[in-house]
Amino acid sequence: MNFQFIVFFNFLIFLMGVFGIFYSKDIISVFVSFQFIIISAVINFLSFSQFLYQSSLWGEIFVILGITSIYFLMFCIVYHVHIYLKMDSLDREALFREFKLFKITKSDWWGEDNI
Amino acid sequence: MNIVLSINEKISPLQSVIILSIVILISSFFAISKSKTIKRLLIILASVSLIMAFYLNIYSFISMGSFSNFLLSFEYMQMIEVSIIIFSALNLLFFISIYNVDSSHFIKIMILFLFSTICAVFIVLARNSLFIFTSFAIFILTIFQLVTSLNLKMDKSRPYIFGYFLRPTLTVILFFFGFSLFYVATDFKDFNQIMQSEYISNPLIILGLIVFGIAVYIYFFLFPFQSPYMKLIKRSDYSSNAVIWFSYFPVGIFMFSKLDGLFSFFIEKNNLYLSIFFIAITFLCVLASSIGAFKTNSIRRIVSFLFLFFIGIFILNISMLSAGIITRISMSWFNISNIIMVLLSFIPIYSIISSIEKSTGSDSINNIRGFGRSNIYMCISLIVIFLSWFGFAYHINPFIKYFGSVNFLKMGIINMILLLAVAIAFIFLLINIFRIIFQFFRKPLTGAVEKIVFPKFLYIYVTLYALVILAIAVIGVLEILNINIEFINFKITQV
Repeated sequence: MNFQFIVFFNFLIFLMGVFGIFYSKDIISVFVSFQFIIISAVINFLSFSQFLYQSSLWGEIFVILGITSIYFLMFCIVYHVHIYLKMDSLDREALFREFKLFKITKSDWWGEDNI
Repeated sequence: MNIVLSINEKISPLQSVIILSIVILISSFFAISKSKTIKRLLIILASVSLIMAFYLNIYSFISMGSFSNFLLSFEYMQMIEVSIIIFSALNLLFFISIYNVDSSHFIKIMILFLFSTICAVFIVLARNSLFIFTSFAIFILTIFQLVTSLNLKMDKSRPYIFGYFLRPTLTVILFFFGFSLFYVATDFKDFNQIMQSEYISNPLIILGLIVFGIAVYIYFFLFPFQSPYMKLIKRSDYSSNAVIWFSYFPVGIFMFSKLDGLFSFFIEKNNLYLSIFFIAITFLCVLASSIGAFKTNSIRRIVSFLFLFFIGIFILNISMLSAGIITRISMSWFNISNIIMVLLSFIPIYSIISSIEKSTGSDSINNIRGFGRSNIYMCISLIVIFLSWFGFAYHINPFIKYFGSVNFLKMGIINMILLLAVAIAFIFLLINIFRIIFQFFRKPLTGAVEKIVFPKFLYIYVTLYALVILAIAVIGVLEILNINIEFINFKITQV
């Protein structure tokens, strides 16, 4: 496969992930955006391991351990959201409304944040 | 005795980790116990183990010197950082025990807490990029679990916990991407190797550093991305706030200090645009946090904003490095002294304000109106602690040295703006300090101050901190006045 194509494709996936993080509102979209960045990093590791470093084992080990720890963290968050959703269906709307990752509200800068 | 010494040599520098792991193992046998006696015994055991870990960490460095291999690096800076982590862990254990000892999950919470401390120690000790990354990811995981379990009864805070921890998750993912870029540029396994190689100017390394920089910025919830942090602190349980302030943030700073060698390579070049960028961020963080703290009446929010203010001071240090006012080593020492100052002041402040909120049931600043009239002793201790923030003035010293060696007309607009940033930050800090102190002596609201009752141990706890702060202040002032008391060789102002 053309190496240049892999690099450009990889960069495209990363940009999709970044765009998704800024644009997504609900938690599922946020996690999908995270996945894009993870996939982009994995492609980096594996393709360069193949092309530059003669299939060096380091890249593969990093991918396995890195992916395991990231997914473990993400699984814990998703599992907790799942438990939370089961608890009270009324709060579900609030949950989805609050999840824009870079939301800016006036109360975070000035005055009070009333519950 | 020889066997103990040989074991000690073999496990160096991981003595602190081994001791804490043994406590986790013992505690896990009693994880579902609800007996108060067992809980108390385990608290004592954990406290003793943390004290031992603190001692052994320093002792092993003094007796065996620095240590370095493929995975770990344990030098002077690491010894100080691990000591800071263990010190704040000891205080956190105290707070968690006070607020959660009646919880049926207390022992599990304690185990999680010790796990997070071990991960934090690993982050500091790690040298290898893979080791740094995995320990960092697992640290975030344990902090998430800890904060969640501390907020089990606070249903309203739950969506905000998810919102909060999506950010550190993003940080972990960006770190993963950043490490992949480093791997693409060079197959070196640690940052020191990259620094010493010719690949340092590789564009991919620079891109990786930009990604790391963004990740660290997101991790600290710096302006304008502070929303989840402010929302969670306002709504969560007080002990989980302590975990965020005294464990999550310090570890982030130590994580940054791992990368500061690489960052400094580019920052030290005194690039004009880079300097302008850092100064702009410094202004934003310092001004926004100061004004935010001034415009709110909620004590939780005031402390949260002030905490962000002190995180902004780390960026100020980077700006000073970028403008050539200080060197890289000075910046590292400034960061360490800053974090010590933050911990020594915020821990007692936290203990008092949490106690006030517990007594009065609200976190309004009006609750401390007249506090200075009703509880003079605690009020004086608090004033001493607040005034310790005057120590922030040490940032002026490098400017005096710098301007002393450079012609006033040639010092440049960037340095002038930076000095202005320091002055503004100091003025705003003073305004916030005196705003709080002013509340102590105002006419109290009827019935509010009478409700505030402190447990006796809190008097001892706060007094200890006030005395330490006073001692540091006296030594500092004596050094500034060039009075040699020959008490210790280390000079605070030498930095």
